[in-house]
Amino acid sequence: MIAIVLVSHSPALAEAALDLALQMVPGDRPKIAIAAGADDGVIGTDAARVAAAIDEVAGPDGVLVMMDLGSAVMSAELALEFLSTTSPVTLSSAPFVEGLIAAVVKAAGGATLAEVEGEARDALAAKRGALGEAEVDPPTEVSGEETTSTTDVMSERMTLVNRDGLHTRPAANLVSALSGFDAKVSIGVDRGTGGKRVDARSLISLLSLGAKTGEVLEVEASGPQANDAMARMRDLVADGFGEEPG
Amino acid sequence: MVDVSIPQLVDWLSRFRDLVTENRAYLTELDSAIGDADHGSNMARGMGAVMDKLGAATPATADELFKTVGMTLVSSVGGASGPLYGTFFLRFGTTAGAVSQLDAAALSAALHAGLGGVLARGKAEAGDKTMFDAMNPAIEALDAAIAGGADVAAATSAAAQAAAAGRDATEPLVARKGRASYLGDRSAGHLDPGATSTAYLFTALAAATA
Repeated sequence: MIAIVLVSHSPALAEAALDLALQMVPGDRPKIAIAAGADDGVIGTDAARVAAAIDEVAGPDGVLVMMDLGSAVMSAELALEFLSTTSPVTLSSAPFVEGLIAAVVKAAGGATLAEVEGEARDALAAKRGALGEAEVDPPTEVSGEETTSTTDVMSERMTLVNRDGLHTRPAANLVSALSGFDAKVSIGVDRGTGGKRVDARSLISLLSLGAKTGEVLEVEASGPQANDAMARMRDLVADGFGEEPG
Repeated sequence: MVDVSIPQLVDWLSRFRDLVTENRAYLTELDSAIGDADHGSNMARGMGAVMDKLGAATPATADELFKTVGMTLVSSVGGASGPLYGTFFLRFGTTAGAVSQLDAAALSAALHAGLGGVLARGKAEAGDKTMFDAMNPAIEALDAAIAGGADVAAATSAAAQAAAAGRDATEPLVARKGRASYLGDRSAGHLDPGATSTAYLFTALAAATA
C-alpha cells in the first residue's frame, strides 16, 4: 500500500483534515505522516520536516505528498533534495481536503501510486458537478468499448434506500468493499437517456454521479469474482450502507 | 586579489541579519501591501536563528557554513522565503565547496548556483516582481566588474548598487508570482518585499568585503 504525507502550514488543519479522511476508511489504512508548522510553533512549512515525514512512512509502493498552498509546495519540492529513501515520491497538485479523502480511500483499496495520484488530482470533479459547473468527466469513467469487450457482464438494478443517497461515506464504503474482489464494477444512474457510467473503485467518480435516495443504480460487473462483487454491492445498497432510510 | 575569508562570510550573514532585523517593520509593511505581512518577521526570525547557530559553533569551511545557514532558514522561517533563501544558501555552499576562502571567481560561481536554486524553487522570470529582480542584476554587475578587472570589494559594491536598482525597478511591476500575484494590477505601485530583502543581502555582502 502506498503511504501519504500531509504538508500544511498548520498542524491543526492537517490533523483535522486527516481525521475527516480517516472516517472514510474503517479497515486497512495507508500509513500517513504529517509535516506541519515550522520551528517554535511558527505557522508555516519546513522542508526538513517534510523530508523526515516522507522517510518515516516510505515503503516500496511509494509516497504521495499532499500540500496546502504557497510555501508548502516549495518546502515539499526542496524536501525531495534531502530524502534518504529511494522509494518513488510524487507531489500531488490535488486540493488539500478533497484530494486527501480521495487519496486515502483509493490507497486503502491497494491502488498504485499513479492511480492514487490521478484520483486525488480529479478530486474537485464531484464538487464542480454538484455546483453545476461544466460537466466534468473523471478520467476513470468507463468507456462503452471497455464494457462491451468483456464477454460475461452481469447487470443488475438497485434502488438507493438510505436518506442521503450515494454521498461520501457510503461511496467510500463501496470502494473499500469492492477493492477485495477480482472484478470490474461500473455504475450508472437510471435517469432516462445518456447517463454516464463510472468505475466503482473511484470515490470521486461515484460522487460525481450525484445519486440520490430513491434513484436506481445500474450496476455492471465482470471478471472472475463478478458474482461475489455483485452480491456484496447488493447487500450494501439494500442495507442503505448502514445508514438511516430515506 | 584579496580573497573572502570565512570570518568575512560570517560577517556578511551577521550584517544581513542586522539589516532584516532593523528593517523588520518596513519589510512587513511592504509585504502587507501585496502579500501576507510576514516577510519582515520571517526573515528576522530566520536570520536570528542562523546567527544563534553560528554563534554556538562556526563551521570552518564554506560548504558546512552555508549548509548550516540554509537548513536553519528552512526550519525557522516558515513562509516561502524559507525554501527560497534556504535553497540559495545550500546551493551557494555546495558550489563554494570545502574551502576556507573564496576568490572573486569562486564567489561569483557560488552566487550563480544560489540564483539557480532560487529559480528552481520559485520558477520566477525577470520582471515577475520577485527577489530574482534584485538578485539577477546584482550577479550580472558583479560579473561585469570582475571581468573589467575590479577587485572583490569593488565588484560586491557594484552588485549592491545593481540589487538596489533592481529592487526599485520592481515598484511599477505587476506581480506574477507568489501571493502578490493574486492582486493582479493592484500589486503595481509597491516595492517587492523579497527584492527588498535581497537588496539587503547584497548591501551586507559589499559591507563585509569592503
